[in-house]
Amino acid sequence: MGLHKARIRAFEDILEEDSTIDMVTLRSLAFNGIPDDKGLRSLVWRILLNYLPSDKNSWQSTLTEKRNLYKHYIDEIIVSPGGETDHPLNNSPDSSWSTYFKDNEVLLQIDKDVRRLCPDISFFQNATEFPCHKVVYSGGAKRLHKRVEQSVLKFSTLERRGLGVAKLSDESRRSDSTQSGDYAPLHEGREAHWEVVERMLFLYAKLNPGQGYVQGMNEIIGPIYHTFAIDPNKEYRMNAEPDCFFCFTNLMAEIRDFFIRTLDESDSGINYVMGKLSDCLKKFDPVVWDLLEKQELKPQYYSFRWLTLLLSQEFALPDVERIWDSIFADSDRFEFFIYICCAMILLVRQELLNGDFASNVKLLQNFPPMDVSLILNKAVEISLAA
Amino acid sequence: MAKKTYDLLFKLLLIGDSGVGKTCILFRFSDNHFTTTFISTIGIDFKIKTVELRGKKIKLQIWDTAGQERFHTITTSYYRGAMGIMLVYDITNEKTFDDIVKWLRNIDEHANEDVEKMILGNKCDMEEKRVVSKERGEAIAREHGIRFMETSAKANINIDRAFSELAEAILDKTSGREADADHARIAVERRPSRAPPTRACCT
Repeated sequence: MGLHKARIRAFEDILEEDSTIDMVTLRSLAFNGIPDDKGLRSLVWRILLNYLPSDKNSWQSTLTEKRNLYKHYIDEIIVSPGGETDHPLNNSPDSSWSTYFKDNEVLLQIDKDVRRLCPDISFFQNATEFPCHKVVYSGGAKRLHKRVEQSVLKFSTLERRGLGVAKLSDESRRSDSTQSGDYAPLHEGREAHWEVVERMLFLYAKLNPGQGYVQGMNEIIGPIYHTFAIDPNKEYRMNAEPDCFFCFTNLMAEIRDFFIRTLDESDSGINYVMGKLSDCLKKFDPVVWDLLEKQELKPQYYSFRWLTLLLSQEFALPDVERIWDSIFADSDRFEFFIYICCAMILLVRQELLNGDFASNVKLLQNFPPMDVSLILNKAVEISLAA
Repeated sequence: MAKKTYDLLFKLLLIGDSGVGKTCILFRFSDNHFTTTFISTIGIDFKIKTVELRGKKIKLQIWDTAGQERFHTITTSYYRGAMGIMLVYDITNEKTFDDIVKWLRNIDEHANEDVEKMILGNKCDMEEKRVVSKERGEAIAREHGIRFMETSAKANINIDRAFSELAEAILDKTSGREADADHARIAVERRPSRAPPTRACCT
């Protein structure tokens, strides 16, 4: 208990410095884990992800500027198409409708994925305290998931009332909530956290057209948003969405090549990084490396997901957050991350040596629950020997 | 090393657009459960189930793939070794059905020529949301000479049947090939005595 309090104190001391934060000390503290208390992780991640500069004097102006910028993004990008001379059947490539329909394809994929984000916790299905008013009071017009609800016309029946008055009665809506499990859209004036995540990912895809949205990005933004949205500090919690958006964008700048197929073979692409992990394993446990090689158990069977998602699908959320403390604290990102992955393999080496191909793929694809400090300590051991 | 507890090993692959229910189908088959709480598959996932067919213990090694385009370089590398491929679409989603053609082309490009294929129209419990009729599913399957079935991982309709039919088709082919091979050998042995010396008359 005393130790825990002392750790919190150490963070507070650093963060309360008058002007410039000592990044070396902050990194080394964060590397050993950021306490869950007092919104420390939420603040320190903002710094480690280069959103907040080390110069505290410019924090307020940075926050104001970025948060306003995000508001602009929403105003400019989350729009309904149309205008006086435009209509949905307009074939011109400049038609706002043509863009709208193209965007909806991206949105459809995002919608599918945010509705299966961290299903083992209820957080993303709950209402946010701070919904985006322009969206939730738009009568549905700016709700992104509305745009990709499946065509209702096919199931509508024509109701005739009197002479020639026809009304389309929409019957398909009743099963919407059953289809999406508990990730049901909320009523006017409210929105669920998954809807917020959907908006951030859509904005990201629109602002980064070369990359767009790739499955798995939801698993990267999820833990950041969760951390920010449970911050006990109201001002930070209220701005979880814009702050998370920029932190995610910064993080993606470092790992986006993992998500781009045409870069798979490049020095920053996923194949290269998988190769680095394989080399690391070969160096530290040639016996296991050799066995996996003989069993033709290729690194991409397990490490593709480990690396692309920064391990976010391998562990429970609190453990992911703890692991990310160390990854984000690494000034030489993502050197230490490779050691973490290597440590995971070394820690199950005995099972691997006794297993055949099938049981070993299963083991690595469903990594057994384990005290993460064990993994991180092992990774430190590796880093010292490397 | 574990002792061999099966007679044959079949490698199967599940492909199709994202969200059609590939993971749910596999989970229903391997664990006999259904849950909507699945995270999206990134890269490739893996399950094992042993079934018994015609007195033979067959170990099915089933690979579940991510649907999105980005993962194709990763997932197509699995096509080559697959003996059976299940192409899944969602009967409540037109686009996933249209894309079946695209997936078939993928198979042509990357899989073995004699791979057994099967098309599954999943989510057939959601009749009120259906947009792809069973007839259209059957038609495209007929056109390509592939087996077809409508399934529901949720209501447990045709899931076991789909896997055992696919496995049986592979089994047919495997034993057929063994028999063919025997035939070929016999034919080769006989040929010298039957085949006329073609050049004899010219010399």
